Amino acid sequence: MEGKRVITLSSGDSLQRVFMLREASVTSLPVEHLVLGAGSRADITIVVMPGVSCDVRLTVDMEGVNAGCSIQGIYLCPGAEKVRIAVDMNHRVPLCSSRQLFKGIAGGSSKVDFYGKIIVSKDAQKTEAYQENHNLLLSDDARVNSRPQLEIYADDVKCSHGATIGRLNEEEQFYMRSRGITLHEARVLQMISFVSPVFSHIPESAVREELESEVERAVRSM
Amino acid sequence: MDEKTEKDILQDIASQEYEHGFVTDVEQEFIPKGLNEDIIRLISSKKHEPQWLLDFRLDAFRRWQKMKMPAWAHLQIPEIDFQDIIYYAAPKKDSDRPKEIDPELEKTFDKLGIPLNERAALAGVAVDAVFDSVSVTTTFRKALADKGIIFCSFSEAVREHPDLVRKYLASVVPVGDNFYAALNSAVFSDGSFCYIPKGVRCPMELSSYFRINAKGTGQFERTLIVADEGSYVSYMEGCTAPMRDENQLHAAVVEIVVEKDAEVKYSTVQNWYPGDAQGRGGIFNFVTKRGICKGEGSHLSWTQVETGSAITWKYPSTILKGDNSSSEFYSVAVTNNMQQADTGTKMIHIGKNTRSRIISKGISAGRSQNSYRGLVKMLPGADNARNYSQCDSLLIGDRCGAHTFPDIQNASRTAVVEHEATTSKISEDQLFYCNQRGIGPEEAVGLIVNGYAREVLSKLPMEFAVEAQKLLQVSLEGSVG
Repeated sequence: MEGKRVITLSSGDSLQRVFMLREASVTSLPVEHLVLGAGSRADITIVVMPGVSCDVRLTVDMEGVNAGCSIQGIYLCPGAEKVRIAVDMNHRVPLCSSRQLFKGIAGGSSKVDFYGKIIVSKDAQKTEAYQENHNLLLSDDARVNSRPQLEIYADDVKCSHGATIGRLNEEEQFYMRSRGITLHEARVLQMISFVSPVFSHIPESAVREELESEVERAVRSM
Repeated sequence: MDEKTEKDILQDIASQEYEHGFVTDVEQEFIPKGLNEDIIRLISSKKHEPQWLLDFRLDAFRRWQKMKMPAWAHLQIPEIDFQDIIYYAAPKKDSDRPKEIDPELEKTFDKLGIPLNERAALAGVAVDAVFDSVSVTTTFRKALADKGIIFCSFSEAVREHPDLVRKYLASVVPVGDNFYAALNSAVFSDGSFCYIPKGVRCPMELSSYFRINAKGTGQFERTLIVADEGSYVSYMEGCTAPMRDENQLHAAVVEIVVEKDAEVKYSTVQNWYPGDAQGRGGIFNFVTKRGICKGEGSHLSWTQVETGSAITWKYPSTILKGDNSSSEFYSVAVTNNMQQADTGTKMIHIGKNTRSRIISKGISAGRSQNSYRGLVKMLPGADNARNYSQCDSLLIGDRCGAHTFPDIQNASRTAVVEHEATTSKISEDQLFYCNQRGIGPEEAVGLIVNGYAREVLSKLPMEFAVEAQKLLQVSLEGSVG
């Protein structure tokens, strides 16, 4: 691991970051490794905008008790993007919690590969670790692979993961269209509501609103 | 719960005897140890096989020699010396009574609860009993033949129905599919063959029972099930082995072909000797099971209860090729002591409107490692395909591991795939609730585990459900974490 890409939080620290990947030239995160000390808290949001192919790798090591980590992300891939996201969440000590939520939309001929692993070590009792990855597949040529993995060596834990790859619900569309909303608008609304749970994890309201409007613009143009 | 009783109970299970660990003393015929082309020729000649089958074996062997043992599973497999295994062992036939079953063998299967005598048999179950490398007998063959159903040992099928065997053999699991499948294709000994003709609903459960007896041998079961158009069959498989300090290899290949509108239910209760509490001995169960839903509207369902084996490497899979076909996978895998299991399923959706459902319940106790590994793949053209997977793990004790490794791939816009997994332990609240109502800790765990596995157990045929429930209790009684 390169030194400059590691962030270490000592006890009680807290970190909030939003990473927007909007330039095609940016293909990875400036941070690849987070080390969390006792009682520290990290809150990371990753947004991959249309037109960006990237290889996002993030490893989180929980090294101190009572650390908390929340990672959420959105990826929008209407074209020929290749998006790879890999998160390793290592619970090494007891009483830590982690939450992950990734939501993505794949259209065009884009390829999405999500990989997320939660490892709970033998001593990491009372761990709570959750991970979700949901994808919408909008075109015949798009591909989505999802590999959520759990490796658990402690027994007093609460861990779960969920992954879905699906399409826009046609009954919802019918409901909206029968009320005078165009198909395009209905789809936009569906997509926005699909990704919006990610925003609720962003604590700073100014940041959240800015992000929301930017994502909405991107979804509308998809 | 108080510390002491907990320990006692744990001690109890650790010392619990494996019920089927006895050895049958029959005169047996062995071939020399080792694996080479001569051995394969010898096996083939022992079974009086035609040339094409020998060629098939030799081709498989040559491919196998170029292959490496797969290392991707979450398992620690000690090195296996394939030259140190006896590839064929058979109980000697009494020359005076060549047609009859050795009473000693009959006794063995009786003891295992598998009566070979038709009158005494469980009504409604036809059994093919395999002892080491050969099939001892197949019951109810006449009754089945009246309906046109072929149910016999694989070796017999090769002799009597060569066209059918040739048509379907290796059509689902190709010779070079993987290391163990190639090995099996080279040296397979016996297994069951079953053909259900068009439109026939098999009137009874078909079942194979596999027994390893001889020391130093491996068992290489080969089973082929073909359900022709509109037919139905429910097939069950059971297995046990003696307690020994050595590891024995069981590398099976099971192929299932389901034609248009046919339905196959395949159930396994796997209870190979798991080794002792220190992890000495036990069976290595490295199995390739795959079915193809070939025709429209066909249906294949897998139900497995895995409690035995030192190491399990097993992924019963379905290729959903026919439009509107569907498949299910229900699994309970229990590991205790030093057992390791890496098991799951693959659902490959090719046809339109195909549906699959995966329910996997892992239970790990002691120092065991229990992994679910699954693949759900929606190919382009699998319009409106649907999958739902649920994988739960239950941990009992703090020295075991439970892992989930799903892989979901979607290349069909209208397909929907869902996967969810949870890991937890039996909560103290649940135990307390039971204790409060006068249910002892041991019984409470049994109750909770049975409730947890119920969704799967309820899918088993009646004959198996009772045994499976008992097995769960034996494997887990009192292992309160």
